[in-house]
Amino acid sequence: MTDRTGLDRIFKPSEEIVAREIEGELIIVPLTAGIGDIEDELFTFNASGRAIWKGLDGRKPLKAIIGELAAQFEGDPEEIEEDVLGLVEELVKRRIVVEVV
Amino acid sequence: MKKGYVSSLPLPEFRLWKKAVEGRPLFSFDFDLTARCNNNCRHCYINLPAGDAAAKGRELSLAEIARIASEAASLGAFWCLLSGGEPLLREDFADVYILLKKKGLLVSVFSNAALIGPEHVRLFKAYPPRDVEVSVYGVTRETYEKVTRISGSFAAFLKGLDLLLGSGVKVRLKAMALRSNVHEFPAIAAFCRARTKDYFRFDPFLHLRYDGDEARNAEIRAERLAPEDIVRLERADPDRFRELRKKCGIRPGAGLGWNAPVPLFTCGAGLESFSLGYDGQFRLCSSLAHPDCVYDLQKGGLREAWRTLVPRVRGLASERPDFLKTCPSCPVIGLCQWCPALAYLESGKMDVPVEFFCGTARARAEALGSGQGLDKRE
Repeated sequence: MTDRTGLDRIFKPSEEIVAREIEGELIIVPLTAGIGDIEDELFTFNASGRAIWKGLDGRKPLKAIIGELAAQFEGDPEEIEEDVLGLVEELVKRRIVVEVV
Repeated sequence: MKKGYVSSLPLPEFRLWKKAVEGRPLFSFDFDLTARCNNNCRHCYINLPAGDAAAKGRELSLAEIARIASEAASLGAFWCLLSGGEPLLREDFADVYILLKKKGLLVSVFSNAALIGPEHVRLFKAYPPRDVEVSVYGVTRETYEKVTRISGSFAAFLKGLDLLLGSGVKVRLKAMALRSNVHEFPAIAAFCRARTKDYFRFDPFLHLRYDGDEARNAEIRAERLAPEDIVRLERADPDRFRELRKKCGIRPGAGLGWNAPVPLFTCGAGLESFSLGYDGQFRLCSSLAHPDCVYDLQKGGLREAWRTLVPRVRGLASERPDFLKTCPSCPVIGLCQWCPALAYLESGKMDVPVEFFCGTARARAEALGSGQGLDKRE
């Protein structure tokens, strides 16, 4: 995974979704077809996923996000790296985020 | 997904959806994009001619729609139903539709399908609607065009519907039951069910026009089915009849006492949704046209309407003795379609019974075997 994405890569929310915050909850609403597996499918994050999502802002490379999260949560950087890369891979696959080139 | 950081759920299982259904303020709104229509249906409560320049001139602009939709989204709105008139008559329909989607709204569309073309199919495939609900007025040219009064409309409807169904867009079908089509209603129901496995609904309750046009209202009254015919259709639909049976014994307003003011609004109007007219009129529900109950969003903001008008209207009560002795204490009010909005359209007053609804509620009660002790209001 690390080789495929690289920690210097930068990601941002895709234009195929709308991220909304309603009543304190972050919701990803698909705008175009094929984002969800079923019709009327929405996405939301748990606290950790939400922290990662906030970093995917089109400016920060993944390594910066991992560093911030490791400092913020005092977690094992290797474990956090694995989680960030895993989530990003999933979000890319679903066209929820895109790489900034 | 990886380690449960992100989860996906079908919409009805979504926590916010559940919260909304349980009564979270502002969840959805319906929007009559235009009052104009390519059909001229006998029973319609809103339609104006497709080329009506005055009506077109009163329609909200794209910029006004964007402002209102932004406010709605900021208040938490999640779902918008685009209706009309025929919404596809708006030349900027695609712009409006995409604008609403980009606000993060789920969008449903009501249409007669006659104007559906490949460009709409492309739009809906690229930006899927929650659903497109199409009205079916008949399944023969003779009946369909007797209702729509537009030659060629049946062929256009079939062509548009086939385009939609062939595209994979989620389509739902519904029918209005009226004198001009009731003779082929079983065929209409079969047509709808054959094309939409999970959903078909019909409505026999023709309500009067928002604009109070007397000539058109007379046409609508003439198209209303007799109560016993309405109940006959309902009995032929086991799911609908089962739902009706659940309403037996429900008496909103019972126990309030005949001498105490009775709240007019025991329905859900304005609780989590509102209705937006083509001309920017904010209403608690689409039928509530009483001038004391509307707010012009071309002159003021949605937040103001939502926060001030809604509680004021929902606080309205009736103290009229004649009324207190009728609907609020009626034993079959739970089977009745009466509401203050429809009463206003019928009579100009929100707190009067409507005989059309009384008769149907009595017929329903008799069909359900709970006809004893009814309040006969002859």
